[in-house]
Amino acid sequence: MPVPDTFREGLARGWKTYDGSRLEHDLTLEADVAIIGSGAGGGTTAEILSAAGLKVLIIEEGPLKTSSDFDLLEDHAYSTLYQEGIGRMSKDGAITILQGRAVGGTTLINWTSSFRTPDQTLDHWAHEHNVKGHSPSDMAPWFDKMEQRLGVSPWIMPPNANNDVIRQGCEKLGYSWHVIPRNVRGCWNLGYCGMGCPTNAKQSMLVTTIPATLEKGGELLYLTRAERLIIDHGKVQGVECLAMDERCVAPTGRKMTVKARHTVLAGGGINSPALLMRSSAPDPHETLGKRTFLHLVAFSAGLFDKVINPFYGAPQSIYSDYFQWRDGVTGPMAYKLEVPPLQPALASTLLGDYGQKSAERMAQLPHTHMMLALLRDGFHPESVGGRVELRGDNTPVLDYQVSPYAWEGVRRALHSMAEIQFAGGAKAVMPLHQDAGYVNTASEARALIDSLSLEIFRTRLGSAHVMGGCAMGEDSSSAVVDSLGRHHQLENLSVHDGSLFPTSIGANPQLSVYGLTAQLSTALVEQLKG
Amino acid sequence: MSATTAGISRRRVLKLGAGASAFLATAGLTAGLSGCSSSSPAMGFSVLRASDLPFLRAAIPVMLDGAMEGVSLPNAVDQTLQYLDHNLARLSPQMLKLTQQLFDVLAMAVTRGPLTGIWGRWENAEADSVRHFLERWKNSSLNLLRQGHSSLLQLVLMAWYSGAESWAHCGYPGPPKI
Repeated sequence: MPVPDTFREGLARGWKTYDGSRLEHDLTLEADVAIIGSGAGGGTTAEILSAAGLKVLIIEEGPLKTSSDFDLLEDHAYSTLYQEGIGRMSKDGAITILQGRAVGGTTLINWTSSFRTPDQTLDHWAHEHNVKGHSPSDMAPWFDKMEQRLGVSPWIMPPNANNDVIRQGCEKLGYSWHVIPRNVRGCWNLGYCGMGCPTNAKQSMLVTTIPATLEKGGELLYLTRAERLIIDHGKVQGVECLAMDERCVAPTGRKMTVKARHTVLAGGGINSPALLMRSSAPDPHETLGKRTFLHLVAFSAGLFDKVINPFYGAPQSIYSDYFQWRDGVTGPMAYKLEVPPLQPALASTLLGDYGQKSAERMAQLPHTHMMLALLRDGFHPESVGGRVELRGDNTPVLDYQVSPYAWEGVRRALHSMAEIQFAGGAKAVMPLHQDAGYVNTASEARALIDSLSLEIFRTRLGSAHVMGGCAMGEDSSSAVVDSLGRHHQLENLSVHDGSLFPTSIGANPQLSVYGLTAQLSTALVEQLKG
Repeated sequence: MSATTAGISRRRVLKLGAGASAFLATAGLTAGLSGCSSSSPAMGFSVLRASDLPFLRAAIPVMLDGAMEGVSLPNAVDQTLQYLDHNLARLSPQMLKLTQQLFDVLAMAVTRGPLTGIWGRWENAEADSVRHFLERWKNSSLNLLRQGHSSLLQLVLMAWYSGAESWAHCGYPGPPKI
């Protein structure tokens, strides 16, 4: 039975959308609220505001792709659904940055892991970053609401073999592990969450909040880049947008102007601060774009006699926080352990090298397990994150330097992962580093990891999530917006996305964005209707 | 490594790095002025230029050595070039520009010789010389060359393993039918 494409059915029923690439004339549109970005923050905000009777207009830079477009081919997905055609990386080219860029934003291509913001993180924000009103007890009802809205619950099927290695290894070592809550309904357990869900099981913004907004008469512009906020007299007077071609590479020359009483910025880390920079928004204390965090990622591969088939099955279903909080919130760099899905193109770049070595590693793909450590950056004074800059063509790039503090965490993470992989039954383990190959025993792995020269390019680093850059907090000298996401200097501008976070989250952040922006949007409704 | 040695080697690298950057920038400029690197795509491609092809045709067989099970070398190279072209055509303009500058440096004799050790044309380069160049960049003290090495590998491997032609080798049955 074919899967119904619910979004296309909605379009056929008359949902109002504009495709920037097909626009023949410049356009001016008006709404109560303009929302820039259609990911976790923008989608959640749009649904709540439109349910309250406000006329909402969503502006999305990327294309509109729906379930029937998702053919599960890596090149198609990566080049259309990811920022910069998956070319986004840190300024020095050392860290790949994977962010979504399509209607639904990163929720369209994330791996569905849905964690509440850890209590430790919320408490840290209150104590260290002057954040008010987001304590664990303040937030609990909002997480609860969004978990219900998006079908979040611990994965009920058995984990795939790739995830099960964490369970088995941690069991054997006496380390804690848990089942990951996922935002899915009727999931087919395919394993292609990163390429767009072909069955509409993933409760991304594409199938939840955006349809709800369009049903209420909200409007969606896609292939439309918000280029500049028109700022005058301390207020945002409008949003200047550029229509993009169908590849989302070059502007077509057509322009849209959106005028609204209130503007919500929800382009995510990097893009949200960049838009404020392009608009010369006030930044009296030079905090904008600073403290941008990545959840830097280190990887370890394991070879098994049994078949792992790491490309199939729910990509993330088991995690371990054993190493996450035990040295305190602000101690040495801590990490969460998870696995990535491993389809061949992604696998080939992670496993590294070329020629015979690469070919041998790739030939063993069905027997390969991959683990990742997501490093919790931003909690320690030596973990300051990166800084967003504008390039010559006004597009953003993140300058992120890996500190000695972080490298020390990378080395410990490589040790932890190798230990768990061997305990979980691996016959060989390879830390993902240019100078490392597979080694056959835990003690060889320990010696190897201790000997590695940890530096950029030699160590294969990834990043998991972009957070911060428009930090929230009551003190305008250290924060861009207040604890309700309202810009400290511009009265009708709010930020509702992951760029609000004063540190990284210490967990996959989508539910943090949903819960926080649901809370902020509900307060915004009061403000706008009051 | 002691803090002192780390400091010295870092300073040395920074100094060399700045020199190499300037050198590469000059090379890019020269390429543009001399018309050596045309900006128009080669026949059959939407982004790849004729000047990019000799290097890629020499490097791809070395990078994919051992991975082309059941596929003829010319077919594997052609497939990889097509996938690569598709991906490059969707990169942001800034990232495409950087990639094309990298290709320019590899294509132009004035930079190719000193930086890669390939003194003749790519068409005549032996596989061993290509491997030698890749190893040299991989282990270079210059971040710029290590970055170039890392980019080349990513571009070519992602292109090859995106295609069904590569899946027999890596035991991937392909995506499920919906």
